[in-house]
Amino acid sequence: MAGRLGPLERGERLLGFAMLTPAALLLGLVVVYPVWRLLVSSFHQLDQGTRAGTAPFVGFENYAYAFADDRFWGATLNTLLFVVITVPGAVVVGLGLALLANLPFRVKWPVRLGLLLPWALPVVFAGLIFRWFFEYRQGIVNDVVVALGFEPLQWLSRPGLAFFAVCLAIVWKTSSFVALVLLAGLQTIPRELYEAAEVDGATRWQRFWRITLPLLRPAIVVALIFRTITAIQTFDIPYAMTGGGPGDSTETLAMYIHKTTIDFLDFGYGSALAVLMFALSAVATSVYLRHTRRREDAP
Amino acid sequence: MANRRIASRLVGTVSALAVALAAGAALAQQTTLRIFTGGQQRPDVMRQIVDVYQQRNPGVKVEIEVGGATSEQQQQYLNTVLSAKDTALDVVLIDVIRPAQWATQGWAEPLDGYLGAERDAVMARYLPAYREANVVDGKVMALPYFADAQFLYYRKDLLAKHGVEPPANWEALIEGARKVLAAEGNANLAGFQTAGAPIEGTVCTFLVPLWGAGGALVEGGRVNVATPAAQRALKLWSDMRAANVTPPNLAEIVTDRIRLNLQAGNLLYAMNWGYVWNRVENDADSQVKGRIGVVPLPGFVGGQPATCIGGWQLAVSAFSKSKEEAVKLVRFLSSPEVSKMQAIFASHLPVFPEVYDDAEVLKANPWFKDALPVVKTARSRPVSPRYPEVSDIIRTNVNAFLAGTKTAEQALGDMNGRLPRAMR
Repeated sequence: MAGRLGPLERGERLLGFAMLTPAALLLGLVVVYPVWRLLVSSFHQLDQGTRAGTAPFVGFENYAYAFADDRFWGATLNTLLFVVITVPGAVVVGLGLALLANLPFRVKWPVRLGLLLPWALPVVFAGLIFRWFFEYRQGIVNDVVVALGFEPLQWLSRPGLAFFAVCLAIVWKTSSFVALVLLAGLQTIPRELYEAAEVDGATRWQRFWRITLPLLRPAIVVALIFRTITAIQTFDIPYAMTGGGPGDSTETLAMYIHKTTIDFLDFGYGSALAVLMFALSAVATSVYLRHTRRREDAP
Repeated sequence: MANRRIASRLVGTVSALAVALAAGAALAQQTTLRIFTGGQQRPDVMRQIVDVYQQRNPGVKVEIEVGGATSEQQQQYLNTVLSAKDTALDVVLIDVIRPAQWATQGWAEPLDGYLGAERDAVMARYLPAYREANVVDGKVMALPYFADAQFLYYRKDLLAKHGVEPPANWEALIEGARKVLAAEGNANLAGFQTAGAPIEGTVCTFLVPLWGAGGALVEGGRVNVATPAAQRALKLWSDMRAANVTPPNLAEIVTDRIRLNLQAGNLLYAMNWGYVWNRVENDADSQVKGRIGVVPLPGFVGGQPATCIGGWQLAVSAFSKSKEEAVKLVRFLSSPEVSKMQAIFASHLPVFPEVYDDAEVLKANPWFKDALPVVKTARSRPVSPRYPEVSDIIRTNVNAFLAGTKTAEQALGDMNGRLPRAMR
């Protein structure tokens, strides 16, 4: 009977729409309008050189500049590298932590606390703490390096080392979130499966591969999606640790956007960069969603 | 009866109103001004000075807000506050490189109207460089608080011990530092430091030897750093690294870290601003009291030495609600009296030439006798409303060069590629 609604149902439908209106308005105000403004300003010249109140329309000029801008490509490459390294890193470490926390300890809270602490710590603090760890003269990392009989390393001013140090900090900071998601997933796996497998003579390793991992897949996918989206937005830790340096070798897209808009007050070009980053996020998310949907469709 | 009660009530109401109005008037007489300064610009000394102002002007209360340690951190915060037209700040202490940006953005209240007929006479008293830096398109955007330039700080005791003279040129500095470092054999002692991290000070780390080698950022109306002079400027720093005179982590060094290293006795030569003197001589934790000398920065053999002009200016926020009072405070803070106080309390260089000869000032800072010619010949960083971007391009590339990420050719080429857009 689709399309032919009785007066009562029609009334209910109206009520339904009416009740959705506040939420729709709110979303329009805080999501649609700002994104619209972002798009509009990305087509204008809006920077320190333009006097207050004037903003000439420049078409795709900001985008053209972005595509010719080495620093944009460098920042994009760094962002993708951070994604490719820290997302799997966080999932592997997080899985280990989750398995550890899932062991039948008598006292559970120290393990749980250890899991929660990095996650609960403000991100900038984590960045600052790791910056001190990797300090050239005062840092504990170089203390160890020197104690082992090597020359101290310039962790934060040598490009490769700085990138590695930042990755390490990000993995430390984010793997606890992954672990929390995976721990929740682990606890939904019925014990009987393991007991049955044990009866059938499956080894520990086989149980992990054949039971734990397949049943954990939905949780892993959720963790991957969240982690990837936040990794594309990486900002705080490199900002606090290296400020994007040395040179701009650890600068991410989000940092470049921040620099362009907040430091240079170049809102036009900054908006164009933000639109491009938004596109990158959208692509990554849709790839994941596609992938998971295909998995669900498969028999 | 009823009438009388109404009458008495009326009297009561009226008198209550009168009391309230009087209290309101008293409150209105009390003006609170908020002044923003940086953590490195001695907010403690500003407090002392402002207390004097409060004593003389009982109707005014001055609050001090302290911002980030480096110039660009402060401006980053101010960018957001002032873009939002926030009225919270009345007076802002800004770096000498900012007035052009502040004028374009309309953040600073032009002071010409407040100075009136006195304008030219007031401005004529300042050192020429500061008169020029604060006037943008013919309008007075700010008044100078203190002057600054970079100097060479050195360990008198160590140089004397090893028979080394304070260097007149960079080549001699490298040679002397190698001699002292080799003889001392102290792993914690570094030869020379200047700002190398991606901060504002690193712009001067590039410009000082560039000017010293006879170059300039803009030549013939065109930005060009693909020049032999620019090559020579960067080569100075790679030579110092090769000679082990600068430490391997120069690319991490920020301005105040150099001061701390000097103060801890871990540094032979430092290229730094005027404030360092007062700290090394007076800080409780200074290990080198009485053992530091200050001379003008060296140049290259056969070339003219150069230094970057610094200094801090007082702007009245265009969004302040008490501009009249704010201007009065600024005029006090930008007076010879305060210049002298700052010189004695903080070794901040005066903006009035006559204060350099003041006996009390010279007693606190014997090296000020040679400082005036340095401040007079110090050169300006490029003037641009897009200065934050100009600065970022220079400092990230110099930082990349110091860290070894980019060769001199790459760093200079990248600067050439980006600077024209930022300076358009």
